[in-house]
Amino acid sequence: MTNFLAPMLASLSHPISQPIDVIAYAVPVFVAMILIEIAWARRHAPDAYEPRDMLTSLLMGLGSTIAGALVAGMIYAAATWLYAHRVATVPYAWWSWIAVLLLDDFNYYWAHRTGHRVRWFWAAHVNHHTSQHYNLSTALRQTWTGFLALSFTFRIWPAFFGVPPEMLLTAGAANTVGQFWIHTEAVRRMPAWFEWVFNTPSHHRVHHATNPLYLDRNYAGVFMFWDRLFGTFQPELDEEPARYGVIRQLGTFNLLHSVFHEWKGIVKDFASAPWRYKLAYLVREPGWSHDGSRDTSDAIRTRWLERNRHLAPDEPQRMADEGIAVSHP
Amino acid sequence: MALDALLALPGASIALQAIGSLMAVLLVFVLVRALGVGSDVRIADEAEARALAEAAHCGFDPIEIALDRARIGALLRNRAGEVMLIRRHGARFAARVLSSHAGARLDRGFLTLSTEDPHFGSITLDLGERAQVWAASLRRLGARA
Repeated sequence: MTNFLAPMLASLSHPISQPIDVIAYAVPVFVAMILIEIAWARRHAPDAYEPRDMLTSLLMGLGSTIAGALVAGMIYAAATWLYAHRVATVPYAWWSWIAVLLLDDFNYYWAHRTGHRVRWFWAAHVNHHTSQHYNLSTALRQTWTGFLALSFTFRIWPAFFGVPPEMLLTAGAANTVGQFWIHTEAVRRMPAWFEWVFNTPSHHRVHHATNPLYLDRNYAGVFMFWDRLFGTFQPELDEEPARYGVIRQLGTFNLLHSVFHEWKGIVKDFASAPWRYKLAYLVREPGWSHDGSRDTSDAIRTRWLERNRHLAPDEPQRMADEGIAVSHP
Repeated sequence: MALDALLALPGASIALQAIGSLMAVLLVFVLVRALGVGSDVRIADEAEARALAEAAHCGFDPIEIALDRARIGALLRNRAGEVMLIRRHGARFAARVLSSHAGARLDRGFLTLSTEDPHFGSITLDLGERAQVWAASLRRLGARA
């Protein structure tokens, strides 16, 4: 064991000259796992896959990869610029790799949470939620416009505090890969200790669900304790099976509409809103409108709780803690 | 030689990878279609239509429901007079609350409906004798609007 560990730990102390493209190495595994899940679905859950939905997901994944390749250099350059003006230096070591993986997962949590609570970032992230199915192909349904939304700023700031950009971007890619396997209905529950520490298919089904109780919950990337720590954890309930997608289901498999529909909505609202409300259509939560004609996730949950409080007895208190008005009949 | 020159162009390797990936994606799609994955979903009864309406719009409580004969769609009206259209979308269902009767076309027992969202598409519901009644009532949506 020592013979195996010592050289591995030593290798982690060597600087790397460029980010490791972890995703490229993982793609064959992604494809193999999707094929295995399709074989499973054919026998056990035929409606878990819909060919056109899967095609849209895979094409969105391909488009996201191309968009990512086109802007990767700019993100790397931005992180390198921050590193050049750093206030400290984090060395390459086994412990710093672990610390950076944890820190990046923390950053992912806040980027993801913001991606659901601020419409500007939601416009880039909503793509990932547009499928009404939940399978491994859904994991590849990724944004084309994350760079435009500046979502990467949540992830590169540690370079200013001395984390090498190569280490940071490698950790980010590893985080993405670590989230692939949780997009499935084929796994019911993992052992209790695993469910406590890690994000799992059960936790992430909740995140992708449109059930009012599940809206805007479980933002975690790899480690689940961020949600427990910041009050956004919601376990999957057997009596509340997840329904997937977005509040207003798209009703189409159109690739470009799936990618750009929320941006189009923002442009339309921004153009038509009175001047004093224009900025709010960019920075308020999805579903917010100046005339109250639409529903936010908080409004939907409040309405649902009035009739289903027995399913979530602690929810009114949690919403009150978040500063959300809840009726008390 | 020409290939070498082509590969030397900026972005050529990304383009080639993209083309290769696209071919692989289409291959998987063909495979999945050939395997017959996916299912022919139908709305079993009014209770399921009611559940679909609640899922689409929390608190939508229909007092009147019309199911398509093939159960691929439904129309539902609540106490407030709002009308929801549910239609099949792949192996799932999607819904819209109708805002006007502009997209409604009646042809005997068939009622064709489209919404203000062009991407949502249109659907022809076979409602039999109830089609005329629903078509007439949808005109009130236009009046309200």
